[in-house]
Amino acid sequence: MSTDTASVELVGEEAVENVARAALLAALTGAFAYVSFPNPVSPVTISLQVLGVFLAGLLLGPVWGGLSMVLYLAAGAVGAPVFAGGSSGIGSLVGQSGGYLWSYPVAAFVVGAIAHGGLVIRDPAEQSLVRLVGAMVVGTAIIYAFGTIGLSVVLGLSLREAFLAGAVAFIPAEAFKIAAAIGIVRSDQIAAE
Amino acid sequence: MTLSYRPDDTFAHRLDPRAKLGFQAAFALAAFAHTTPRGLLALTGVTAVALRVSGASAREAMWAYRFALPLLAAGPVFAAATLGPPWVRPAEGFDTALASYRVVLVLLVSAAYLRSTPVRESRAAIQHLVPGRAGQFLGAGVGFVFRFFPVLRGDLRRIRDASAARLGGEQSVVDRIRRVGVAGLARALARADRFAVALRARCFAWNPTLPHLSLSRTDVPVIAASVALAAWAVV
Repeated sequence: MSTDTASVELVGEEAVENVARAALLAALTGAFAYVSFPNPVSPVTISLQVLGVFLAGLLLGPVWGGLSMVLYLAAGAVGAPVFAGGSSGIGSLVGQSGGYLWSYPVAAFVVGAIAHGGLVIRDPAEQSLVRLVGAMVVGTAIIYAFGTIGLSVVLGLSLREAFLAGAVAFIPAEAFKIAAAIGIVRSDQIAAE
Repeated sequence: MTLSYRPDDTFAHRLDPRAKLGFQAAFALAAFAHTTPRGLLALTGVTAVALRVSGASAREAMWAYRFALPLLAAGPVFAAATLGPPWVRPAEGFDTALASYRVVLVLLVSAAYLRSTPVRESRAAIQHLVPGRAGQFLGAGVGFVFRFFPVLRGDLRRIRDASAARLGGEQSVVDRIRRVGVAGLARALARADRFAVALRARCFAWNPTLPHLSLSRTDVPVIAASVALAAWAVV
């Protein structure tokens, strides 16, 4: 056991708060992977993982939202059962759904950057509806673009086949998550936090 | 049943986590470079050895990854089907079937890692492999995610039970998602704030004491195998 006794480098106050929030949002995204709802318009159930990505970007802003999703991927890679269906491991990151997973940090960054209009964090509840919805629509497009390309590379499918096999059935449900995310960031309970 | 560390005294349990991470990367490279029947047959042998020396069972691992299987099975069907004559192209379906199988092998090898590596060793490995602040942030953050993930899962379960007991299932899907999201997020943020206070009170530092990692003679065969796999992938 080697103890670094020469100096203790304390983490700054603001950074402690941001690290804690980023870790908790990453853990929440993992916990959301276990929550599923029946989809009224499609036989595929709705899982809430992507809602975690949206909320990370909206609440933590582009930088810490993106870092939060990096923590999510790292924790999943070394064994936290946070990926879809409670799976984990490096295998998941290079497997058929790897494209989706790698898109999360990028999507959270972009959602945060659009919703906050840059790298400086503002209160998401005060942003216009169009800006919030636009941010999440772009985020959704990024997630599905990465996911489709990943699936096509990993399984050797054409982009069209990959889109039909792995994306098209899930896209309608994203509208529900976007609508719910707007309600969440504008709710009094979250605004008070 | 999810894959997780199980204390044991197998060969894989005694290895340095960095050697095991390197082996997984080399294996994935080899699997992607040699997606041929002969290449995958050889890698199946390697996978069997990895599972054997880590005490992981293939059946448990496949069960843990069962959500991936429908898509892996459907892939070849999508690849083989065409609109218009000849309707079915078996050659393309076969290629994708090989690609699906290589994903299964990569998943099994990562199952061997998960079974034989405790979280704190993985954390230490991350901090040794990623230099500077970035590695320290990743290491600490990964530890926090492991700590809070089961807690937040419990929170969400209680929120859903409470909602179901009050006929929450009768509401529209958006309302249900919003309700779970608001309550789950509020609790997560409250926990984050309390956690941040607790971290400050305990002098949360960028340079904590980590378990000691050192490569030993046991790691030599694994490192040699990793180099061989990576070299084979490049050739």
